[in-house]
Amino acid sequence: MVLHHVLSSRIEGLDPGNMRDIYSIIVASQIFEPLYQYHFLKRPYQLVPLLAEDMPQISDDLLTYTIKIKKGVYFQDDPCFQVGKPRELKAEDFVYAIKRVANIKYLSQNWSMFDNKIVGLDEFREYTKTCKSEVDIDYSRQVQGLTTPDDYTLVIRLKKPWPQLCMALADIATAPVAKEAVDYYGRDIVSHPVGTGPFRLNVWHRGSYIELVRNPAFRGELYPSRGEPGDAEAGYLDDAGKTIPFADRVLWTIIEERQPAWLLFLQGKVDATVIPKDNFDEVMGGVGELTPAMKQRNIHLKTFRDPSTYWLGFNMQDPVLGKNKPLRRAISCAIDREKFIELFFNNRHLIAHGLIPPVMPSYGTEIKEKGYAQYDPEKAKELLKEAEKIHGGKLPAFKMALPGTNTWYRQFGQFLKRNLNAIALEVEMEYMDRPTYLEKVNTKSIQMFTSGSSASTPDAQDFLAMFYSRYHAPGPNKFNYCNPEFDKLYEKAQVMLDSPEKRRLYRKMELIVLEDCPAAFLNHRVAYVLHHDWYKNYKPHAFAYGLSKYRRIDMAKRTAYKN
Amino acid sequence: MTAYIIRRILYTVPIVFGVLLLTFVLFTLVGGDISIEIAGKGATQETIDEIREEYGLNKPLFLSWDSQFVNHFKNALTFNFGRARDREPVIDKIKRGVGPSLALTVPMFFGVVIISVSLSLIIAFVHGTVWDILVVVICVAGMSIPYLSFILFGQYFLAYRWGLFPVFFSPELTMAQYVALPVLIGIAAGIGGNLRFFRTVMLDEMRSDYVRTAFAKGLTVRRVLFKHVLKNAMIPIITRVVLAIPFLFLGSLLLERFFGIPGLGYLMVEAINSRDYFVISAMTYISAILFVVFNLITDICYSLVDPRISLE
Repeated sequence: MVLHHVLSSRIEGLDPGNMRDIYSIIVASQIFEPLYQYHFLKRPYQLVPLLAEDMPQISDDLLTYTIKIKKGVYFQDDPCFQVGKPRELKAEDFVYAIKRVANIKYLSQNWSMFDNKIVGLDEFREYTKTCKSEVDIDYSRQVQGLTTPDDYTLVIRLKKPWPQLCMALADIATAPVAKEAVDYYGRDIVSHPVGTGPFRLNVWHRGSYIELVRNPAFRGELYPSRGEPGDAEAGYLDDAGKTIPFADRVLWTIIEERQPAWLLFLQGKVDATVIPKDNFDEVMGGVGELTPAMKQRNIHLKTFRDPSTYWLGFNMQDPVLGKNKPLRRAISCAIDREKFIELFFNNRHLIAHGLIPPVMPSYGTEIKEKGYAQYDPEKAKELLKEAEKIHGGKLPAFKMALPGTNTWYRQFGQFLKRNLNAIALEVEMEYMDRPTYLEKVNTKSIQMFTSGSSASTPDAQDFLAMFYSRYHAPGPNKFNYCNPEFDKLYEKAQVMLDSPEKRRLYRKMELIVLEDCPAAFLNHRVAYVLHHDWYKNYKPHAFAYGLSKYRRIDMAKRTAYKN
Repeated sequence: MTAYIIRRILYTVPIVFGVLLLTFVLFTLVGGDISIEIAGKGATQETIDEIREEYGLNKPLFLSWDSQFVNHFKNALTFNFGRARDREPVIDKIKRGVGPSLALTVPMFFGVVIISVSLSLIIAFVHGTVWDILVVVICVAGMSIPYLSFILFGQYFLAYRWGLFPVFFSPELTMAQYVALPVLIGIAAGIGGNLRFFRTVMLDEMRSDYVRTAFAKGLTVRRVLFKHVLKNAMIPIITRVVLAIPFLFLGSLLLERFFGIPGLGYLMVEAINSRDYFVISAMTYISAILFVVFNLITDICYSLVDPRISLE
């Protein structure tokens, strides 16, 4: 049984400690496993143990997490281990993985996750700065906050409460890595993943395809027996209690162009695909409805809300924009978001009324009524008059940075320009490559910029952190926004466990941001995925990637379709 | 001729230096700082600084024995291209891409040249007839249709609708199977411009006095065309054909992308998109050397086909 998937971009590497691109994470998540995972079927999203025996024991002061690790978990066979002797997973492998991310010579993109969180880890990072190279680092050096009383117990001690720790421990960046593998492969570890997961790498033909095969050393896991209401009717519980993975091989072909991916899907050579923009009318016959031609092929449509928000940001340290709230609000009112979504996304996306995406538990439905995303050119013109009074005369032309030079960005730029020109605001679009864009944003040398973010956990903290004043650029707060009231609430919520009170604080912070308007929020992405009838257990998930183990192919149906 | 070849090889030095300087200036002075992008979202300044040190971006640009440019120059001369941004050695990427690229471009190249030159000879002979007009119309049409249209049309009809070829690369396919359609498309798209050029060259020759003399002496059409006209038309043919050879190495970006051929054209564009300076620099350098070498080969070929040209 082979799963045929498509990746729309090449992957950068398969080293879990240093990957942030979504395509690498998708592939690596089938090979590596962290301590926790999100339940495949249950909603709202819920963490369950994966390599951990159970959920952690948390001390009363919320500073110490004791985690028991499953026994009898083995790394896949690999030449880096002693021949014929399976290498069992130990608690020390988790410690090594975290220390590795902390090692500054390793240049991990994931360090911000642990920055100033675990006792002694920042000191370990300081120590690595004194080493000449990666090979000189002594990983046996003690980190006070990462201890292993025995081979199957991991104790993490925190500097201050970090309620998102379990979510971090479900991130592939914290997946255990065998030190023997890193020592054996050196810098080539990026193409020699050695994990504990259900699949192992068979072939990686860079830029072309990746093939994983079933890992014979995998301990075996059972398909969930419970889901949310409606799952049984949808067939998601047909395989309840069966041993996973079902597939013997997983094949990802890298196809960057839409036409070949679409044609392969229609030929039945690919199991699932997104709908190409140009084929949207061929596929969709109405709201949430497939065309009869698609139905005749037994193709199914799945839509799900992506935890993402996109915006037009303002540099609050800009002398004109930063001191002129009516001007920022005028710009926000001048953007016709509905038209934007119709033109660029076939009406698929949702208008962003605030910064927290609707899929998050802290999303407040009342935000829609506040009217911060309302398109109102007349109000915008009124606000602009007020803005000119504050400025003391006619407003100058503004510059807006867009992180791309291709047709899509030029069309997007034209759209924004036309919207702003309509309220007599001059704006010059600057199309640039991504590094130049990042440099300009990080050095605060741009007035307006377009950007977006997608959450990796169901906690909206990452979105709110983008407005915390201690994280100004080059940190996550690219708006260089500062509001002491927001900061106070952020610091309070940051150390709280998930609760209605915490969610209330999140929504309060969101309202403060919307009122100050350091950004005009534009849209939230909604994914539309098509899959063939034979592709079973395809339930979309916003935060989990290691899902190939649940997929099953009805071989008879696949063969019938091809014939 | 030896002196000429040595002189031409010496000319290579400033050319290669110029290429290295240009790529360096374009990607370090004009483009942005790649370290911020490599560091990723939410990276601290110290991580960015460490990346700058790792990639040598904190060194002076010029005017030092350990400057970025001197290191760039030294690495290029020793063919030590380092590691790409995904940490794979650049040379491994190039070695892997050469095969698929050449499997695509070499048959395309020979197909286009052989068909264009043969047809141009025939067309030159039937010049002014309805066949000639028809070929000119087809050539102009072929030149006017965008390359992408050939690809989309070929992929949709020949592969998807009629099932004559695979739509896209698949590991189960042999190289011959997955390059067949792109080669066919490449030949169809390339033939228009080449045929029109060679037709003009042949017609110029056909109007020469020696052709009339040859026919007056009673030589056969085949002998006139293939022994005299073709030989005299070789100079422009060599110029066009030999100078196209270095570009075979660069592969074909669109065809590789649409048919999933993991060649060097694809690699180059990926590198440009991700600003992988190390790959771009290596590819540009190798291309420059190949271009200089094939320029020299072109000159040598001139003297071989035309004894009036001497390489002094």
